[in-house]
Amino acid sequence: MAIQNRESFLNNLAENLGRSRRKEGVERPEWSVSPQWEVYQGYSEDQLVDVLEKQCKVIHTDFRKTDAAGLQDVLKETVDRYQGKSIIAADDSRNQEYSLDSFYQRMEADGVEVHIWDAGKGKENQVFAERADVGITFSDATLAESGTVTLFNSKGNGRSISLLPKTYIAVIPKSTIVPRITQATKHIHEANQQGHEVSSCVSFITGPSNSADIEMNLIVGVHGPIKVTYIVVEDK
Amino acid sequence: MSIRIGTNSFEHRVQEGIKNDFMRGAVSSAQGRFRSGRLKAAEELGNWEDWRTLGEEIRNHTMENLDFYLQQLSDQVSKRGGSVFFAETAEEANDYIQNVIKKKNGKKVVKSKSMVTEEIGLNKALEEAGSEVVETDLGEWILQLDEDPPSHIVTPALHKNKEQIRETFAAKKGYDKTDKPEELALFAREQLRKDFLSADIGITGCNFAVAESGAVTLVTNEGNARLVTSLPDTQITVMGMERLVPTWEDLEVLVSLLTRSAVGQKLTSYVTSLTGTRLEGEVDGPEEFHLVIVDNGRSKILGTEFQSALHCIRCAACINACPVYRHVGGHSYGSIYPGPIGAVLTPLLDGYDDHKELPYASTLCAACTEACPVKIPLHEHLIRHRQIIVEKENKAPKAEKLAMKGFAKWGSSPAAYKMSTKMARTALKPWTKDEKIENGPGPMKAWTDARDFPAPSKQSFRSWYKSRRKGDES
Amino acid sequence: MKASLFITCLCDIMSSDVGKDTVEVLEKVGCEVDFPELQTCCGQPAYNSGYLKESKESMKQMMRAFKDSEYVVGPSGSCVAMLHEYPHIFKGDPEWEEAANDLAGKSYELTQFLVDVMGITDVGSKFQGRVTYHPSCHMTRLLGVRDAPMTLLENVKGLEFVALPVKEDCCGFGGTFSVKNPVISEQMVEEKTEHVTETGAEYLVGGDMGCLMNIGGRLTRNGKPVKVLHIANILNYQ
Repeated sequence: MAIQNRESFLNNLAENLGRSRRKEGVERPEWSVSPQWEVYQGYSEDQLVDVLEKQCKVIHTDFRKTDAAGLQDVLKETVDRYQGKSIIAADDSRNQEYSLDSFYQRMEADGVEVHIWDAGKGKENQVFAERADVGITFSDATLAESGTVTLFNSKGNGRSISLLPKTYIAVIPKSTIVPRITQATKHIHEANQQGHEVSSCVSFITGPSNSADIEMNLIVGVHGPIKVTYIVVEDK
Repeated sequence: MSIRIGTNSFEHRVQEGIKNDFMRGAVSSAQGRFRSGRLKAAEELGNWEDWRTLGEEIRNHTMENLDFYLQQLSDQVSKRGGSVFFAETAEEANDYIQNVIKKKNGKKVVKSKSMVTEEIGLNKALEEAGSEVVETDLGEWILQLDEDPPSHIVTPALHKNKEQIRETFAAKKGYDKTDKPEELALFAREQLRKDFLSADIGITGCNFAVAESGAVTLVTNEGNARLVTSLPDTQITVMGMERLVPTWEDLEVLVSLLTRSAVGQKLTSYVTSLTGTRLEGEVDGPEEFHLVIVDNGRSKILGTEFQSALHCIRCAACINACPVYRHVGGHSYGSIYPGPIGAVLTPLLDGYDDHKELPYASTLCAACTEACPVKIPLHEHLIRHRQIIVEKENKAPKAEKLAMKGFAKWGSSPAAYKMSTKMARTALKPWTKDEKIENGPGPMKAWTDARDFPAPSKQSFRSWYKSRRKGDES
Repeated sequence: MKASLFITCLCDIMSSDVGKDTVEVLEKVGCEVDFPELQTCCGQPAYNSGYLKESKESMKQMMRAFKDSEYVVGPSGSCVAMLHEYPHIFKGDPEWEEAANDLAGKSYELTQFLVDVMGITDVGSKFQGRVTYHPSCHMTRLLGVRDAPMTLLENVKGLEFVALPVKEDCCGFGGTFSVKNPVISEQMVEEKTEHVTETGAEYLVGGDMGCLMNIGGRLTRNGKPVKVLHIANILNYQ
């Protein structure tokens, strides 16, 4: 696509910097320090789960831990707690792996409306998401320190699922947990260097939406989901 | 709106600020909370100084190679289906954005919080061109409804209380509930949802763009930026030209510094990195994406001793640490960028004529410099501004210039200096009562209006020292 | 050890007792103290107001005055911090660069000198009273002296210490700020004195005369009974 006014703009910058234009050959130096790699260095997966659980209290997020066999029940309890009459969920290959497919069938049988994201249906997905009670996605990378789930939004995992419904549930395969955002962005950096296209939207989501804009009072639940549950599940 | 807000004089604005008890109470308690949040978040990391060093190094390298990284960024955005416009002035940026909206036949624009769009006066330009513009950040929405400028760069409506907000909602939007923050916020959610769903254009600012892949990162808590970038078919992102990092690895460092320094959070609720247009088969996200990169005076700062002012990541830590800001509030600065960073940036971007008081609105206590997560020497920049005002702009008061000439003579002449140590007590005698001065003459009046001035000691140090030496010798 | 007293212009003109006490404390811990009489002001009032040229005149005089000193010790964090800026100010100046580096390298604030150079944590003073301490901005943030005054105060016999709330906040002095922006300065010093009064202390102690004159002047203006002392006064009290 078009790039306008670039040459004169950048020439002016170079001039002000007192040198000729740099169009190539700029290398990032080795930074003198790297404190980001020291955070929870050497922690085991279980220790990181503990860190995540603690952080969930800070970010007003419910935390559950289960195994593959127990996942359906925990999900059901959570949807019930959220009085979920309608669910929108990502179209994810892990739905089958973790038997979410059968969970959604079970919910539908119970009279809950379930919509699995369907790219072919276009804006209908958004319309459903907007009135849905619950949105459900997997986490692609989970950051223990901050209590963050990372979504590489895609054709099957629309941005709306984790955004428009009143509540949101993230299913977190235990193996996706890393110490902090450092590991996730390193992964993206390396994938990009190898020529893989970065997702059009990488969402780092840390609990429910909130605001402190009125007299610095913390209000949980503003434009995004009002309640959030994380369910950590032992890998299959 | 542009950088400058209001037309009152600095003295007038300060008086107004100091009289505003609610504002001062609100600012003081907010500062306390922000400050303890920031210190706690820094302490949790343990090696905060290393983090600051890293942040400084990344910002420094980026600025030294800004042409290279902006070229890389624009190439990547273009590759991902986005259009890029480099705007040297506010007018160029506003014109471009107006044209995009016109071509798309856009009626309603939803915006997420952005300081640079305040700076270039985008809302006014769009409204004049016939668009309906809706701010969707809760604080910004409140200010938009009340036609009031922001007083803080992170929590823009800090100066308003919930009763004022309730009244605004009632008058402008027919709100009929209480002033409970939760109810006010729920009302905003319901009202703004309608706007999100019906908007054709979404406009955002940019916390950090990532040069290596062309991603634009937005750091928010409310979720409005996600809505602005998920639902409308056209997205326009406006970024100050310095708001980028080389790679994703650098991104996370600056985001970590930003969220901790701004609000004491490890990460905010949403850190969202968006690249170009939505991909084939995707439903959410824009089908058309424009990145507008704004200079508006920034390039003049490059290559000068003020260059590190461009390192600012808009966290407001300096504002939250500043005791002057606490007492006078954001509007006193007469700029959309208040506090120490505002006092540094505003004259650089908008000239000294309207802002020559700002560099003096500081005791040089350096609380700002200490708080800055990327180590901008803010108080030193304020001294540099003062030097320019004195030497180049020639805007210092005459009496002050005379006094400083006298200072140079006095300070370089041990005899004259010594004489003053001898004479001080006698010279001040006419005004001295009970070893203090309550109504000082001349420039001393400004001091004694608020506090007593002590009388100089009866025996000068030098005569004591001399007599003591004599005693030693005998 | 030989130490030259850098009395600071404020103490030279206003508070001779601080100079005397500094000399006596240094002598008590075994220093040989001299007072270079050619010293004037560190240049800060002009420098911080933007008058670089004018400030340099005074700075040069200071470099001349202390050129033969082994150590330069002053009872002020702010003025000593100013000396530490000389190397930046005279960088590239063939005539003065070396002298600037020399002066900065050998200059210390009183408590910093006692604790960090002399290795002394107890100067053997006694003081009966309830004391709070204001850590001045330039001493802590520019000079980086935070612990030394506390260490010394802790070891003063009889002294009862009480912490000052929000102690790191500026008192509103800021040199010429206090007369250039008197309205703001007044609000700041009012807040500071409120915190001082809250502590219930009988004495407010600090290491910078400017701040102490500001806070002290406000205390007496408001009729508050809190007395103001320089830390040198306390360290030389018996």
